[in-house]
Amino acid sequence: MQDETLLDILKKRGVSRRAFLKFCAAATSLMALPPTMASAVAEALAKAKRPSVIWLSFQECTGCTESLTRSFSPTLESLIFDAISLDYHETLQAAAGTAAEAARETAMKENWGKYLLLVDGSVSTRGGGYYSTVAGKTNLETLKEAAAGAAAVVCIGTCSSFGGIPYAKPNPTGAVPVSDIVKDKPVIHVPGCPPIPAVITGVLVQYLTFGTIPDLDELGRPRSYYGDTIHDRCYRRPYYDQGKFAKSFDDEGARNGWCLFELGCKGPTTHNVCATTKWNQGTSFPIQSGHGCLGCSEPNFWDNGSFYQALSTPIDSVAAAAATAAVVGVAAGVGVGIANHHAKAKAKAEHETVTVNDLEK
Amino acid sequence: MSASLQKGIKAFREVMDAPIASFFSSCVHCGICSEACLFFTETREPKYTPIHKLEPLRRLWRQEYTLFGRLGRMLGLSKPVSDDELEQWSTLVYDSCTLCGRCSLACPVGNDITYMVRKMREGMAASGHAPEGVIGATKRTVALGSPMGVKLGALQAQIRAQEAETGLTIPIDVQGADYMAILSSMEIINFPEYLGSLARIFHKAGVSWTLSSEAFEATNSGIQIGVSDIAREIVQRVVDAAEKLGVKYVISPECGHAFTAIRWEGPNLIGRSYKFQVIHILELLDQLRSEGRLKTRGKESKPLTFHDPCQIVRRGGVVAQPRRLLGEVASDFRDMKDHGTINWCCGGGGGVSANDRAEELRLKAFKRKKSQLDEVGVHTMVTACANCRIVLEEGLEHYNMNINVVGLTELVADHLEE
Repeated sequence: MQDETLLDILKKRGVSRRAFLKFCAAATSLMALPPTMASAVAEALAKAKRPSVIWLSFQECTGCTESLTRSFSPTLESLIFDAISLDYHETLQAAAGTAAEAARETAMKENWGKYLLLVDGSVSTRGGGYYSTVAGKTNLETLKEAAAGAAAVVCIGTCSSFGGIPYAKPNPTGAVPVSDIVKDKPVIHVPGCPPIPAVITGVLVQYLTFGTIPDLDELGRPRSYYGDTIHDRCYRRPYYDQGKFAKSFDDEGARNGWCLFELGCKGPTTHNVCATTKWNQGTSFPIQSGHGCLGCSEPNFWDNGSFYQALSTPIDSVAAAAATAAVVGVAAGVGVGIANHHAKAKAKAEHETVTVNDLEK
Repeated sequence: MSASLQKGIKAFREVMDAPIASFFSSCVHCGICSEACLFFTETREPKYTPIHKLEPLRRLWRQEYTLFGRLGRMLGLSKPVSDDELEQWSTLVYDSCTLCGRCSLACPVGNDITYMVRKMREGMAASGHAPEGVIGATKRTVALGSPMGVKLGALQAQIRAQEAETGLTIPIDVQGADYMAILSSMEIINFPEYLGSLARIFHKAGVSWTLSSEAFEATNSGIQIGVSDIAREIVQRVVDAAEKLGVKYVISPECGHAFTAIRWEGPNLIGRSYKFQVIHILELLDQLRSEGRLKTRGKESKPLTFHDPCQIVRRGGVVAQPRRLLGEVASDFRDMKDHGTINWCCGGGGGVSANDRAEELRLKAFKRKKSQLDEVGVHTMVTACANCRIVLEEGLEHYNMNINVVGLTELVADHLEE
């Protein structure tokens, strides 16, 4: 079974060649590669051997796994996912207890240095990390151990990428993102709460086809998926440009499908592909169903003020700071003004008439 | 013999006013002013960027008039303005700036850089960094009444010559005349035909006018060197003479900075408004034309162009009048590409033509005018400033260009209806 290629597996599952090529073309365009690369992707992908993947779940809600696996009908994405050798996944694996842990240890030993480590959930660090343990081991310990033999770490979801909800104030468990712990391996962030399934598989496809990790932005996200903002690609963008905004969720503007900026849409600052790839087999995405973007794939999205507050308004009350600044500013202005008037008046009072005899030294 | 850094710094402090403070604080360092300055465009040397010419003044403002600047100075983060530095800046402030005002016009945030250079010269002069040539001109103006050392005797000789030439009387010291004309000494020495032209035009138009034996000099070296005390004294001479004769108007001649001095700076310098009005000769001629009192006959058929004197056109606002007058006397008038308020300076205004050490740079800067003239392709250039005229003639000669320069008043007089 280990020698089966991806194409063999997909054929067994009844996926037609046409469906496979369609998927490759879609993945190619999502990866921002030229269309001519589609055949190369298909060829490489067809021949790809099943890589070992270990999936660790820490302080998370299993939403990321749900996103990937629980679709209406099995998608090609989920099949691709089946086609990797998922050697450890607490939710999906059949084994339990010591057998499960043994499977992880065996997989790690056999594929040391080659396996992909997928992580969802943030890592508790307070008091050594005892807020979240599996099989008596803290997540912190397990992560360090598993990361040591990984080829690369893929952070699935906002929690493992940026800390997510466990990391939100007041962060009782001392949660941190994976990148705070793993410093010596490539760490790819696939944020989103949850991330779009096509983006997760897209990253895996790139690894399978080219054996490389994608080009990452300054926040460690693949540029091909997180290069543009939701706002840049939003179908309601023309309304923003025309200044047509919905002022409440049931007004004329909302019914006309105008821009939701004033209702708190975080689209302008959120980098993701929701507006183009969409959710549920391309059915819709939040803005299309009439609600603003929450910005779930951005760092600190839970602490960035209300979801219903326009981006242009301050998150915290600025009254005190503004009043202090105004008082200090006025005082400094008056002070400097008086000093300047004094300096100038003094210079004027001391003016000695310049005559033609005073032009040379 | 008593100029000192101390005095210069004091003068800087004294000229600092709300406009300068707001100009310095609103400068966005875009550098657009550089492309507006012919000393930069013809040399491509960054030091000739107009706003950079004010650097010592700007630093003093920051160090003494702003909170952070003061803190910076206390912590030794910015050096105080030194004598050596001002010496270095002398060439930038005097040699490479004609106060033409093009940079002020180009500035996207509306900073009047020219205004600031004029003010900065106060400190430069008080600290002994004015150029020798300009100091000499100023001394002659104060001692003898004219930067070129022209005395009343010379004027009287020219009056006699022009009276013989035109057959008309040139009135002098006529009490109660309507207009008092003043002259630039260049006109008296180099272009006396201006005086004869005035006599002929005013005779035809029936204008009651006079010269004054007490104040015939219109130029003002005090403005150019940047010493308000001296500029005030020179303006005061004209004001006293005009008010003594009881004239209604003083006619500013074909001289750029003379117009700036008497028309714009004068009342501020002496601290009160005049009992007469100042009118530029081109404004007066255009007014006579519109009243039908100035009738001309025949038109120049050869193609000609007009060099806009910066102080009269861009900074003085006399833009349409010269063109209307030219329309009366020329049938093939062609404007240069950049003309009117965005004209290019001759390169010798603002005291540069009196400054010997600036000659090489001035001739280099003249390449701008040369290329403008090459483009328009005419052999006659009309202007309305005696200083422009001299500088243009020198430049044309230097570059072996066959172009004739004439004064507009003269051209109009040549076409008077007999």
